[in-house]
Amino acid sequence: MSSASEPVIRAAGLTKVFRSPDKAPGLSGSLRHLVRPRHTNRAAVNSVDLTIGRGEAVAYVGANGAGKSTTVKLLAGILIPSSGTVRVAGVDPHRDRLVNARQIGVLFGQRSQLWWDLTVRDSLEVLRDLYGVSRTQFTERLDEFDEVLGLGKLLPVVARRLSLGQRMRADLAATFLHGPAIVYLDEPTIGLDIAAKDSVRMFLRQRVAAGTTILMTSHDLRDIEDVCRRLIIIDDGRIIFDGDLGRAKDAYARQRQLSVQVDAPVDLAALRAGLPEAQVEQGASTRELVVVFDRFAHRATEVLDALTRQVDVVDFRLQEPQIEDVVRRVYRGELLVLPPQGVDA
Amino acid sequence: MTGEWMRTARLYVRLLGAQLRAAAQYKADFLVMIFAAVLSQGVGLIFLAALFARVPHLDGWSFWLVALMYAMVTVAEGIGSLLFEGTWRLAAMVNSGELDYLLVRPYPVALQLMSSAVGFNGLGNLVLGTAMIVVALCYAPLQWSPLQGLILVLLAGSAVVVKLAMNLATNAASFWLQGRNPVVAYAMHQVGELARYPLGIYPVGLRVVLTTVVPFAFTSYYPVSYLADGVDATIGLLTPAVAVACVFIAIWVFRRGLRRYESAGS
Ligand SMILES: Nc1ncnc2c1ncn2[C@@H]1O[C@H](COP(=O)(O)OP(=O)(O)OP(=O)(O)O)[C@@H](O)[C@H]1O
Ligand SMILES: [Mg+2]
Repeated sequence: MSSASEPVIRAAGLTKVFRSPDKAPGLSGSLRHLVRPRHTNRAAVNSVDLTIGRGEAVAYVGANGAGKSTTVKLLAGILIPSSGTVRVAGVDPHRDRLVNARQIGVLFGQRSQLWWDLTVRDSLEVLRDLYGVSRTQFTERLDEFDEVLGLGKLLPVVARRLSLGQRMRADLAATFLHGPAIVYLDEPTIGLDIAAKDSVRMFLRQRVAAGTTILMTSHDLRDIEDVCRRLIIIDDGRIIFDGDLGRAKDAYARQRQLSVQVDAPVDLAALRAGLPEAQVEQGASTRELVVVFDRFAHRATEVLDALTRQVDVVDFRLQEPQIEDVVRRVYRGELLVLPPQGVDA
Repeated sequence: MTGEWMRTARLYVRLLGAQLRAAAQYKADFLVMIFAAVLSQGVGLIFLAALFARVPHLDGWSFWLVALMYAMVTVAEGIGSLLFEGTWRLAAMVNSGELDYLLVRPYPVALQLMSSAVGFNGLGNLVLGTAMIVVALCYAPLQWSPLQGLILVLLAGSAVVVKLAMNLATNAASFWLQGRNPVVAYAMHQVGELARYPLGIYPVGLRVVLTTVVPFAFTSYYPVSYLADGVDATIGLLTPAVAVACVFIAIWVFRRGLRRYESAGS
């Protein structure tokens, strides 16, 4: 985990409470609220502890409304915590806003940071001036970004004429333009097609390889597998998992699935007796079998052997555990506690 | 230190320039807005002239001096629209969470806000207002000396600053109200229109309010009073101090408000 590198982001007991008005519906409700306002407090982020090391790529995952964006805004210094502390590269992001701003980059996939009526180039030039990036560095970075993001074609286009995918690529360039050491990405692939997602992922992988610390939220778990090594899952404002992505799979996504086509109907009972730890089910037809097994209890070859002893296997397909399965089970509330993390993980 | 100030000023011009470029795409808008501004200011002037055709003095003030007060407010509004129009976008930005990106850039949030729009109507106000001031100064019964000229510039500049600071402070109310429109600032802007005429025509309570709580009287009446050596001449000399105080208060209110900013759900 982060033990190898010094921490750059450190949050302790981070909490953000939003106060929302309780209004009965309709005009009378609004009037009553004016006379005697009532509010409900709700913790969108609840006692979150986070330590992220320099150069780490962290995926921040959770269901809608879990508190991901709110956490990002707290870390970026946009919101002030209701309680708890944040330090990012040695500064309090809200109190030392200007210092913090120079070392971070932020992208909200839902909202563009480009000037609506300016060309992409003009927007980037304004940002260049704001951050004091030298002209040579500016050109170098744009050239570098161009390879993956295909910026060249976008530069002369006015932001309001960009498609969503084009807009996101231009926004990514804007986020990384000043070479920030730490970058927060809130749903950087939202609404993109497969090709656009691929280029965003490749771009982010490159940035991570170049040493940028990244914290990224996404509902597309492919993004996470492609870019991140560490997974943090938040649910209802609380962190319920924090650990290595591979380890999460080992711990929670142990079930492999073997789909087999056979040339003759099989005796399920006998098969089940031979594979006591596995689940053996009939597939869509009598010629199909589905075997679900724990990859630590059985090896795939073992399962195949047991099958071939009975029938001729025509074809088979092995499905590896997916990170989706882990997250889905977490969302369903099936995995609430994580097993203790090894010290030297 | 001065380097930092220079950078801040240079970037302000840069940000405003970007808006100018953006707005240049809508040329028709540009002309219509200038025309509308000249028209609305002109209507006020016509009213003023019609009024003075009936009465020689308004609370002891002659036409050209009242015209001067009137024009000072026009100029202040023109400068506000032309260079600081973004102030009026605060309500919408707070309401929709658009302030997020401003908060992660290495430049003061209030300045990013104020430079986030250009109001071309300001150009109309500025040109018309300046012309009126020049004409009024020529005809008004004023004693001139180089020192007097210098003080005029100082007071006029301070008057504009009072107006701009009031704009920022009243718009900052949106941090508390969180509605889509700057209702408080609009209302206060209307109150500020009272300052186009001599303060003495209003009841004493209103005079006190316009001098202290919302010191719009310092945007026109008091400075002119000093120049014309009127009843409130000495108070007029306080205009620069009031301007400084207004700026500090506006910044303070804005900062307090910013701490309440909650972004938006999505
Ligand atoms: N500005 C706000 N004012 C009031 N409540 C808010 C605000 N922002 C977020 N919330 C609430 O806080 C909770 C967490 O919201 P947040 O936007 O952090 O979720 P999220 O994990 O990013 O969800 P999504 O995947 O839908 O983007 C939600 O219940 C939301 O309604
Ligand atoms: Mg979100």
